[in-house]
Amino acid sequence: MARRVVCRAADVPENGLKEVEIEGGLKLLVANAGGEFFGFQATCPHQDVPLCEGVFDGSTLTCHMHLWQWDVRTGAPLGLAEAPLQKYSLAVEGDSLYLAGAATALDVGEIFNGIASATLDELAGLARSETFPPGTVLYRPGDAAEDFFVLDAGRVEFLVGRGERTTPGGFMLKKGEVFGWAALLDGYPARIASARCLEESRLLRINGKAALGVLERDPAAGFIVMRRLAALIARYLASSGAQ
Amino acid sequence: MRIQVNARNRGYEFEARPDERVLHAGLRAGIALPYECATGTCGTCKATLVGGTVADGWAGAPGKKLVKPERREFLMCQCAASADLTLEVDKFVHAAEAGACTPDSCSVVLRAPRQIAPDVMAFSVQLEQPRDFDAGQFVLLAPLAMTGYRAYSMCNFERGARRLDFVVKRKPDGGFSEWLFGANREGERLSMFGPLGSATFDPMLAKNVLCIAGGSGIAGMMSILARAWRERYFERWRGWVFFGVRTMRDTFFLDELSSFQREFPERVQITVALSDEDVPASAARDWPALGFERGLVHEVTERVMTGKYHDVRAYVAGPPPCVDAAIRVLLLKAKLTTNNIRYDKYS
Repeated sequence: MARRVVCRAADVPENGLKEVEIEGGLKLLVANAGGEFFGFQATCPHQDVPLCEGVFDGSTLTCHMHLWQWDVRTGAPLGLAEAPLQKYSLAVEGDSLYLAGAATALDVGEIFNGIASATLDELAGLARSETFPPGTVLYRPGDAAEDFFVLDAGRVEFLVGRGERTTPGGFMLKKGEVFGWAALLDGYPARIASARCLEESRLLRINGKAALGVLERDPAAGFIVMRRLAALIARYLASSGAQ
Repeated sequence: MRIQVNARNRGYEFEARPDERVLHAGLRAGIALPYECATGTCGTCKATLVGGTVADGWAGAPGKKLVKPERREFLMCQCAASADLTLEVDKFVHAAEAGACTPDSCSVVLRAPRQIAPDVMAFSVQLEQPRDFDAGQFVLLAPLAMTGYRAYSMCNFERGARRLDFVVKRKPDGGFSEWLFGANREGERLSMFGPLGSATFDPMLAKNVLCIAGGSGIAGMMSILARAWRERYFERWRGWVFFGVRTMRDTFFLDELSSFQREFPERVQITVALSDEDVPASAARDWPALGFERGLVHEVTERVMTGKYHDVRAYVAGPPPCVDAAIRVLLLKAKLTTNNIRYDKYS
C-alpha cells in the first residue's frame, strides 16, 4: 500500500496544531514541537472535542474543554487526563509528512505507554492476538489468573460476585485498556470477577509471569508500569466504598 | 422508580421520585454522576439507555448535538424515568466526596428583586429549611409556572443559609431573565435544585487566590470573597479579582468589592476591566479602593498579573469566549497546573 501523505510540514505552524483528514478518511492531529512532528487521534478521548482547538505550548497539549493534558512526545496523560492519546508515527520527507504507522494497543495502553521501545517490543513478542465472538466468557471468579489482556477493539464487561448475586463491575471499551491485571500481581492467583465480551472483541493476551520477567530486566520500565498499575487499582478502590 | 447505572468502573442503584430527572436522583443519592451545566447545554451528562423508558423534558436542548438517539443516548439532566431504568455511563463514576454538600430539590420564595445595572437584576430566594453550600457553587431555579431550570451562582456565603443571593443578566429570549425583568416577582414561588458545581473555594486551600470574572460571572467570586472574608483568609494569602464589563454603566457590586479591598488593603487587589470604553476620570475618584483598566478581562489580567503567579489557584467564570481566553492565559503565560484552574462557563 502506498504511504499516505498527511500534509506539508509548512502547513503546521511552529509550536502549533493542525487537524488533517488523510486519504481513507482518518482524521489526525499534527503537532509541531519545535520542528519535530507528532501525530495523534484528532479528538479528545474524553468527549470527542477537536484537539486542534486546544492549547499547545510546544510540549504539553491541553484540551480546552476540560483541561485534559498530554505529553506531545508520547501521548501519555498528564494532570487531569484519564486516558492517553493514540499516537501515529509521522515520517518527514522533503517538505511533506507521511503516516509511518499507528501505535499498537500495547503502546497506546494506559500502563505500557512510553516505556523503552525495546522493552515494548519484547512485551509485544509475548502477546497473542485473539478474537472472540460476542458472549464469550474470558474468565470467571476463581479461575487462575495467569494472563492479562489488552483491549485492541470491541467491548468487555465485568461482573462481580457469583451466580444470582452479581453486580456490574464496569466495562472496557477503549483501545489499550488493560484488564485481568491480577496476573501481574504476586500471590494473587485467582480471578475475582467474570469478564465477558459484549461485542466481537480483539484482545492481546499476555502471560503475567513472562511480562514480569521482561520488566525485571528493565527496572525503569518496570517502575513506570508498577506505578501506573497502582494508580489503576487505586482508581477502582476509590469507587468501591460507596453504597 | 429504580435506576441502575453501569459506569466504567462499577454499578450503582438508586431511587428516583416521579418526574425527577435522572441526574438529580443520582446526585441526591450521593453518586457523583457526571454533569457540568446541568441545564441541557454541555452534553457532559450523556448516558445510554439499556432498559426502560425516559421522558425527555426538553427535546430541543442544545446539548443534544452530542447525543445519538439511534444509540439510545440521552441527557440525564433533562430526562426523567417513566419506568425502572438500566443505563450506562461511559465514564468513571465515584461516590460524592465526604463532606460535599448533597444537593436536593425544594420550593423557595423570591425576595427583593432589584435592578443594579442596565441589564442586571439582583434578587434573593428564601428557603424553608437551612441549606449548606460551598463558595462558588450554583443552583438550578425555575418559576413554578415554567418548565426548564436555569443555573445561577450564589453571591453570598453562609453555613445553614436561609437566604441565597443571585444576579441575573438579561438575555434576549432567556426564559428566566425575561420572566424576571418582565414584572415585579416579589413573593413568587420557584422550584430549586442544588447546590451544584465543583469550582469551589475552601479556606483549607492555603494558596493565593485569583478570580477572573466576565459580567455576571462575578456572582461566584462574591461568594468566594465572602467566605474568605469570614475566615480572615487574606491575613495570610493574597487575593486578586478581575471583573470584566463593557462600560462603567455595566458595573455593579463596586461598593461590596471596595469593602472587601479596604478590609485587607495590603493583600487584596481588585481591578475592573472595561472592554468598550476608556476609563473615565471619575472612576478612580468614585471608587478609590478599586483599579480600573481598559481592555478585555483576560488581557488586563495578563498585564497586571505578570510575575505574580506563585502559589496561585485561579477561579474563572463568565461567557464561554471570556473563560476560554482566560484559561489560555493561565496555561500559557501563568503556567498554572490544571488542578489550579477552576472554572464555570455560562453557556
